[in-house]
Amino acid sequence: MKKLFFKTSYDADPFGYFGEFGSRYVPESLIPALDELTKAYEAAKSDPIFEQELLDLYQHYSGRPTPLYFAKNLTEKLGGAKIYLKNEGLNHTGAHKINHCLGQGLLAKRMGKKRLIAETGAGQHGLATATVAAKFGFECTVYMGAVDVVRQRPNVFWIEQLGAKVVPVEFGTKRLKDAVMAALQDWIAHPNDAYYLLGSALGPHPYPSMVRDFQSIVGLEVKEQLLAAEGKLPDYLIACVGGGSNAIGIFNAFLDDINVKMIGAEAGGKGTGKIGDHAARLQGQGRLGVVEGYKSFFLTNSDGQLEPTHSVSAGLDYSGIGPEHARLFKDGRVNYHAVTDSEVLTAFKLLAKTEGIFPALESSHAVAEATKLAPTLSKDKIIVVNISGRGDKDIFIVADALGDTNWKEFLKTKAN
Amino acid sequence: MHPLEKQFEKIKKENRLGLMTHVVVGYPNLETTRELVKTMSESGADYIELQIPFSDPVGDGPTIREANTAALENGVCVHDAFILADRLTHEDAIATSLLFMTYFNIVLTYGIEKFCHDAGKAGIVGLIIPDYPLEAESHEHLESEAEKNNLVLIRFASLDSTEERLKKLGEKAEGFVYCFSTRGTTGVRSDIDGGIQPALALVKKYFQVPAAVGFGISNAEQIRTLKGSADMVVVGSALVKACESGGKEGVRKKMEELVIALK
Repeated sequence: MKKLFFKTSYDADPFGYFGEFGSRYVPESLIPALDELTKAYEAAKSDPIFEQELLDLYQHYSGRPTPLYFAKNLTEKLGGAKIYLKNEGLNHTGAHKINHCLGQGLLAKRMGKKRLIAETGAGQHGLATATVAAKFGFECTVYMGAVDVVRQRPNVFWIEQLGAKVVPVEFGTKRLKDAVMAALQDWIAHPNDAYYLLGSALGPHPYPSMVRDFQSIVGLEVKEQLLAAEGKLPDYLIACVGGGSNAIGIFNAFLDDINVKMIGAEAGGKGTGKIGDHAARLQGQGRLGVVEGYKSFFLTNSDGQLEPTHSVSAGLDYSGIGPEHARLFKDGRVNYHAVTDSEVLTAFKLLAKTEGIFPALESSHAVAEATKLAPTLSKDKIIVVNISGRGDKDIFIVADALGDTNWKEFLKTKAN
Repeated sequence: MHPLEKQFEKIKKENRLGLMTHVVVGYPNLETTRELVKTMSESGADYIELQIPFSDPVGDGPTIREANTAALENGVCVHDAFILADRLTHEDAIATSLLFMTYFNIVLTYGIEKFCHDAGKAGIVGLIIPDYPLEAESHEHLESEAEKNNLVLIRFASLDSTEERLKKLGEKAEGFVYCFSTRGTTGVRSDIDGGIQPALALVKKYFQVPAAVGFGISNAEQIRTLKGSADMVVVGSALVKACESGGKEGVRKKMEELVIALK
């Protein structure tokens, strides 16, 4: 049996600090709920039945293990390092988000909770939460920024079909960060019967550690799969980083393998020159801060007010970054690069045409980074790219960005 | 004796509940905020919270959250709060104790040491930072910096706080303890959670300092139900609303209603 829960030298201390980042900066009214959650999580982690149940769900419900696929055509086209794709898009619901939703859903059930609360940006986490709610029989409320509701209508429709309620968040920037706040406020009001199913490796302790642990299956599988295929560890891992759940998921099992280099791809948007044009927190403009319950780097102004962000992908359009990533950045263990919207669209088209795979726009950031890196490396090197989700959900954005006239005609006809 | 304590002695002598009121700095604008504080002070507020607006005020419900957003849209910055406090203290010679209320990111970004130092100089006597928990002290040292400047960092208690937790919170608490009357965010509510009375009894067991009850307190009737169990009440959103509908006079009227109920 796989050992799902393990320690690394980058883990949080008992107060949830990853070095100087993380912990739980929340109103006193949330402390009892977070204490209860921490206790329940620690107990679940050391219970072999919990682990077995989760591994069963991963396999039989979500379809794990997801393939680690050698992208031969892309590798040949780029003419450098071998590129492998960890295809998380083949999970049930189409992205890695289901991993931590199954883990947290199972935990919520153990805790006897009746309702799940979630926030969502691109809608993938909301979809995965609603899915788990349907499966386990929870009520479910999904908060989504009003801007994202417009951008990701298909996911909203599906979430509702699963029986969950989508609440558009109309305040602030009407995006992911505001959805997080609305979800937190719902939880503050209902700490006893509701479970806040946080969608990334961020927020107050123990969420960053817990979400990472439930996502670590990704890296564990990669290790096993690549050893079987190549007999060695990868030279590079690349993943996109919004809050950072898919990235920490693939990185975690390799953090103590010092020869494995790692790159996190941030949303460079229209370019990282100006605040508001991007969502890159680690390219010089992010400030140390405490927002939404955790300490990390955030895009804020000189007073500490959160600044607006932009990305072609709703899932990366977020002004903070998970606290373990902040530590991995500060310690120099992981490098973080920014990828622009236009590089992302180019990478999306490239992977579609060379390998027949539509990566989500979020994951396309990682693909773009790989297309830059691979040609600079020799052919015996190996890069593993995390395709955190599939791109079907992005049909409206991609069609619009590529200016497809037939698609526009189709939309007009449908609207009539 | 610290000004917070001194005022509480007075409250006790007058055999009544204390009242802390709330303004959002720069809402509806800076000049009005200054006038509102003066009005509240003249009308009998014992303590006044000056909230420094933040973009993501996680503990605040719609009324105060929107006031935060509006103040920021008006271009209010953190520096303005210090100027306002300084003017109220030194130009208006306000008799009421002023506290800064804001979220920790504002303090952290300003610089913890500098924030406490400048606040003390501006005449602030206490800090209310809802997202700064006890455990953060070993990393951030906000409480010790506050102390150096004769500022009290107010501690909190919630309806669900365990006895073990209250015991820890009660040790070395100063000024008063801020008790959440309800689960949820700030904002006007029609009644008071039935859980508040037993929770206050527990708070009294572990805290030597007076218990202030806030969140959802908006009228005289609610204040009367807290007599005997609480020492102070905090009214925020209801006064923001009174200002929205009736301006300075609206606030004066609301204050009259609240102050009568304290006795």
